[in-house]
Amino acid sequence: MRTQLIERKLERHLLQVEKPGRYVGGEYNSVVKDWASVDIKVALAFPDIYDLGMSNLGIMNLYHQVNMQPDMLAERVFSPWLDMEALMRKQDIPLYSLETKHPLREFDLLGISLPYEQLYTNALNLLELGDMPVLSRERDERFPLVIAGGHACFNPEPMADFIDAFVIGEGEEIIVEIARVVGELRGKSRHEQLRAIAKIQGMYVPRFYDVEYQDDGAVRSIAPNEPGIPERVLKRIVITLPKPFTKFIVPNIDTVHNRAPIEIMRGCTRGCRFCHAGMVTRPVRERPVQEIMAAIDEIVQHTGFEEISLLSLSSSDYVWVEELAEEVNRVYKDAGLSLSLPSLRIESASADLLEKIGGTRRSGFTFAPEAATEKMRDLINKYVPDDQVLQTARDVYSRGWRTIKFYFMIGHPEESLEDVQAIVDLCMKTLQEGKRILGKKATLNVGVSTFIPKPHTPFQWAPQDTFENVSRKQRLLKQQMRRGGMHLRWNNYEDSEFEGWLSRGDRRLGRVILRAWKLGCKFDAWQDQHKHREWLQAFEESGIDPNFYNFRERDLDEVFPWDHIDVGIHKKFLREDYLMSIRRETRVDCRDKCFACGILPKFAKERSTTEDMAWECPPVTPISERRRARHAEIPLSAIG
Amino acid sequence: MSHISPVAQRVRVTFGKAGPLVYTSNLDTAKIWERVLRRADLPILYTKGFNTRPRISLAMPLPLGISSECEIIEISLRERIDICEEQLRKRLLSVSPQGLTIGAIAEVDRRASTLHSLVNSAEYRIRFLDDAERPDLQRKIDDLLNRESIIVDRTRRRKRSVMDIRPLILGLRVESGGSLVAHLSVGDRGNLRPDHLIELLGLKDLHHTVHRFKLHFLAE
Repeated sequence: MRTQLIERKLERHLLQVEKPGRYVGGEYNSVVKDWASVDIKVALAFPDIYDLGMSNLGIMNLYHQVNMQPDMLAERVFSPWLDMEALMRKQDIPLYSLETKHPLREFDLLGISLPYEQLYTNALNLLELGDMPVLSRERDERFPLVIAGGHACFNPEPMADFIDAFVIGEGEEIIVEIARVVGELRGKSRHEQLRAIAKIQGMYVPRFYDVEYQDDGAVRSIAPNEPGIPERVLKRIVITLPKPFTKFIVPNIDTVHNRAPIEIMRGCTRGCRFCHAGMVTRPVRERPVQEIMAAIDEIVQHTGFEEISLLSLSSSDYVWVEELAEEVNRVYKDAGLSLSLPSLRIESASADLLEKIGGTRRSGFTFAPEAATEKMRDLINKYVPDDQVLQTARDVYSRGWRTIKFYFMIGHPEESLEDVQAIVDLCMKTLQEGKRILGKKATLNVGVSTFIPKPHTPFQWAPQDTFENVSRKQRLLKQQMRRGGMHLRWNNYEDSEFEGWLSRGDRRLGRVILRAWKLGCKFDAWQDQHKHREWLQAFEESGIDPNFYNFRERDLDEVFPWDHIDVGIHKKFLREDYLMSIRRETRVDCRDKCFACGILPKFAKERSTTEDMAWECPPVTPISERRRARHAEIPLSAIG
Repeated sequence: MSHISPVAQRVRVTFGKAGPLVYTSNLDTAKIWERVLRRADLPILYTKGFNTRPRISLAMPLPLGISSECEIIEISLRERIDICEEQLRKRLLSVSPQGLTIGAIAEVDRRASTLHSLVNSAEYRIRFLDDAERPDLQRKIDDLLNRESIIVDRTRRRKRSVMDIRPLILGLRVESGGSLVAHLSVGDRGNLRPDHLIELLGLKDLHHTVHRFKLHFLAE
């Protein structure tokens, strides 16, 4: 009945809002099951608008996994844009799923995707629009169980007050296990349900942990308050990547990334010290070329998409990247299909790869040197010498590509104005090369982001750079990089400051998030919507000093709010790496030498079921020596 | 040698939009078609150049929010195919999103004028959702039709002008179910949108749906 009422209201009012196609579903490949005959109902929410959420590969993967189960259904929910929210509140339309227009509350399980911190207020808003109390402790078993997952959840603490349980790690397998438990324990108390959820490896239920603080505000301890609850929650991984999903939903309206992604590899071995993804997605798992080729073929058949992007954290490190490029070139050269291969290393081979792969050359070249002096490159452990940057640029421009995009990062506390000046100089030299080859047509787009220390990285101890410093650095860039053919983009400091608070925040921030949301904060990822003043007011009213989170250099033995979340990397390894960065010592790609980050012993059992080199972790000797030592048999027991 | 057109065959498909597709704009409808054709694996002809796109064209833009059963798309193919209407309809429908309907399919002369230049007027059915019977509707229609001219201000590309839109109303009648049927000019020679008509009739505040059911062409 409720769904008919919702549809009736939509028919009467939907044309009043911008892009009404966001709110109606009905897309090709969306899965509409018969509500009455399916037992377990899962709503998958991305707390931003349809246009963004539809590009999220994670949501699509989970949608597929759940819908494959005959007794389960998964439906999508997105945040309504401001005009639609106003309409829904005015017309009393609860937030509903796109597939069958059921109100959120009628689902058994609500999974919220939280890949980045700027979505937190939207998650609260989504709960309220779904007629649910935003606080976890105010929702009993009459409400759907609310879980969250995604990269931001590796520090779940700021959202602990609102989410019943967090998925730590990879969701493909666990989502079905959770839904199964929720189905079996329907009607039981929420406490009992959560106890069962907490037994699933990779699930974190915040209410079963007590946090104590020291006088200086740092965490003293985090410990379970229930018997049988693990002291630390080890992240969940899939041993090998499940077959790529290919029946993508094809939107009826234009969206941000209107294309299909294929994950070619998960994890990264480069060890860049600032990189959250590089630390939390270990170990490396790669897909065979045949599997990727079959997936491209299926995607074209199933979706008709004209663009496919081949995703990974570092495509050049994908072992069979050349074979893949050859194959793609051989099969799809004249097929009206455009493929993109982002995250390529700065080296000449990258130009070859893209030339082979890029049918219509739409994506162009994007490189991330990150820093421009030896000092900074050593410090962040990403070393690309100037010569290599310039040679690569020459290769790219001389093949006729007019635009190169560079990403740099500023704002490490050790960075000086000279280091920033070097960014300007390198960009100038690069563009000069372009102009020498192409004349005025050559352009260089430079994105300079501001460094935010992230949990579970070697920089989790480091302070964030101050407003004064960052402003000075940005001013230098802005003054010197206004040249013909060069376009500079940078982060607003307020946005970086805000991200910093939530990235390394603790459970006490729940009060601040709730207050900020009540003051009208939402869509914080949208620069024109983020209300910084209201956030500061929320901190003030909660009696919490925001600077505590951003500007302290943490003690080496400080207990972090996320220490009970185990991403498989030893804290000792991260600490060692942090100290190395201070001494400006670097580490090579860990495919060549194992630095004992901890991932292998943590997942020894899982690893023992894979082929020897499936995760690219070198057994004992470096890969170069291993190649030399023919027939060398390394027993599995030697792995660690 | 090869100054022959790369178009091997031109196919004209009549289609409809209903349900969720009503909320898809004209531009996005073209995109939906591109993908339907690719999924149907027809030998579509692509434009040359940097951003290659299938050579398809829609006859007359359908404003967002209006359902239809009489839209027309022309598709250029690089190879001839066997036009068995029933089979081709099935093939297209099997890869279409909810709300896309397929009517007549026919081959057209490769040299025929573009459809857009031939569409002259369209008929719409306006259905009032609540209190379908409107006793005052006939009177309102008569009042409007009895006017010799209806002068309105139009702002287009920041240029204001006055124009008489009375000649653009080709017919108005009330059907037995209480729906209003409007025959209005469309296209370059004068265009009156149904929502504008509804406003003129003072019915804007009544919840209603609009359905386009017929396109009229100039004699070819």
